[in-house]
Amino acid sequence: MATLELVDLAKRFSKKVWGVKKMDLEVNEKEFIVLLGPSGCGKTTTMRMIAGLEEVTRGTILLDGNDITDIPSRNRGISMVFQNYAIWPHMSVYENIAFSLKLKKMPAAEIKQRVQETADMVKIGELLKRLPGQLSGGQQQRVALARALAVRPRLFLMDEPLSNLDAKLRVIMRTELKAIHQKTEATSIFVTHDQSEAMSMADRIVIMKDGVIVQIGTPDDVYFRSANMFVAGFIGTPPSNFFTVKCIYNNDKIALEHSQFTLDLDPKGFEELKEYNGKEIVIGARPEDLLVVPDSEAVFTEEILVVEPQGSHQVVALNLSETIVKMIVSAEAKVKPGDNIGLNFNRKRLHFFNKETEDRIHLKNEVE
Amino acid sequence: MTITKSQLSLSRETRKKMVPYLLIAPVVIYYSMFWLFPVINAVSESFKNVDGVWTFSNYIHIFKDPVFYTALSNTAFLVIFSVTIEFLLAFGLALLINKKFKGSSIFLFLAMIPMALPAVAVGAMWSSGLATRGWLNSFLMTFGFIDDASKFLFLAGGKMSTLWLIIIIDAWTVIPFVMIILLAGLQGIGEDVREAGAIFGGTKFQILRKITIPMLKPTITTAMILRIISAIQIWLIIVMLFGFNRLPVLLEQVVLNYDQLGAEYFERIGLALSVLVAIIVSAAAILYLKVSGSFEKEEKENG
Repeated sequence: MATLELVDLAKRFSKKVWGVKKMDLEVNEKEFIVLLGPSGCGKTTTMRMIAGLEEVTRGTILLDGNDITDIPSRNRGISMVFQNYAIWPHMSVYENIAFSLKLKKMPAAEIKQRVQETADMVKIGELLKRLPGQLSGGQQQRVALARALAVRPRLFLMDEPLSNLDAKLRVIMRTELKAIHQKTEATSIFVTHDQSEAMSMADRIVIMKDGVIVQIGTPDDVYFRSANMFVAGFIGTPPSNFFTVKCIYNNDKIALEHSQFTLDLDPKGFEELKEYNGKEIVIGARPEDLLVVPDSEAVFTEEILVVEPQGSHQVVALNLSETIVKMIVSAEAKVKPGDNIGLNFNRKRLHFFNKETEDRIHLKNEVE
Repeated sequence: MTITKSQLSLSRETRKKMVPYLLIAPVVIYYSMFWLFPVINAVSESFKNVDGVWTFSNYIHIFKDPVFYTALSNTAFLVIFSVTIEFLLAFGLALLINKKFKGSSIFLFLAMIPMALPAVAVGAMWSSGLATRGWLNSFLMTFGFIDDASKFLFLAGGKMSTLWLIIIIDAWTVIPFVMIILLAGLQGIGEDVREAGAIFGGTKFQILRKITIPMLKPTITTAMILRIISAIQIWLIIVMLFGFNRLPVLLEQVVLNYDQLGAEYFERIGLALSVLVAIIVSAAAILYLKVSGSFEKEEKENG
């Protein structure tokens, strides 16, 4: 259990290629942080620098206030789960888990107890004598997990640990990992490109793009108060729908004019849009914030292109002036391709973005 | 109707089963004609005397000849030291190149040059280099390390220095070969298992000893077997540098007896010697496999 601080951390791979441009982050004790972003955003590089597997070009890494930037990996008090497990094929499961404990010269009896305890925790207590080659992918991942947990690390690093598992197992392991974290309370950093994994596991999500942090926040923060269009588009399935509109601000009415519709807003609560009067802005609408309404209340009507049943709900796709708009409707709703439906917006939940900077236009009364 | 059908499918199955045998048949025929037959012939001829009478006399001659024992011990010395040195240096180089530093591919290319040279070329190159007026002495003189009076008499040394000279030349020739095999093995081991070793408390040396080398073991075995076999068969370079009988080794004695002495009596001695060399090579290979295999067992028991 520890705190971690990254100060102005950067990594340059070659003259012009920066893996991480600038990274400032404070991780609290017992916190579960997820580094999230598309491939090439620098999340794995950041983790590898924390692990000591990658040299730091600039900046400092502080663990519990101590500078560990130039300390070798083995002395950092960390442990790590690798994407490809990286368990040692010539050692039994027992030897894999006991490796670090043996190097620490822990007494044999204690090692035995610790290994059994950890193996039981991740449900591989029966497999200790096996060689990794005799295990399934899921079991190998559990060995990697047990090996990392046995150390009782100050900081627990996970580099896309679930990405090689099949979809079903991945969801099971997510829950187990979260439960293990609640039990061990080890400060954890988890790297993934899967936003739903990030949402379901993180205390706080760090969203990265092109080597910089785009937003740090709780799952609710990044979902309901996305810092910019990238985050709004990256988080959530299906992602947010974007509509470019012209903002006409009168004191008694705001009209947002899209090529296909006009959305009227009561200026109360949207005062911040005043400075965009006459300019173009972007509306971000989550798929569940588009509502099917009777034609009389509709902001616009459109023909259904495709219906994707999901069991618990349905995803309806429309083609609005050559842009696919996706929305979520209840499982019971009778919708089929070719139907014309009337649509309205859940106005309180809309996001507004500056069209030039793509940054969020912050409103005073945002949804908490 | 059904019977014919099942017969048909049976014959199809049989035909299918025959395919692999048909495919290897040419190789088997070629092998037996040009390899197996001469080998059997050589073995049987080694047990006959000049008059074609079955006898052990060829072997008795060899075992009574002190030169055979000198050749045997020289060969053993060469094998043990050259293979050990070659392995250590090649492994070091392979680890270095595997680091992929700037210019490592150029270094790899340069290191492979000796491998591309045929044994005769290597012999010619070194015999001209090591001669008292050879290029090695000229080189040293040009740069002022030695003067005309202190030229090295590389080829005039005693037995130990000639043996070591051969070991150095052999190592120079085959280190790239061993290195390539080990490098291929190293590249087959993912970077992440070594990184995991670093994370979980291993020093560089511990990672090498507990992770890299055990995982590389199949490759090491292959490289060692190949090297032991060809080190036992070293002869051409020795003959090119020292001529026959200056530094007797097993295969050189085979060539000497079979090819050089020009009497049928010695030809048969040569045949008998080559049979012995074949037995020694196989024995050495099996011995190595046994030894390395039993080490593996021991490790398992300790773990």
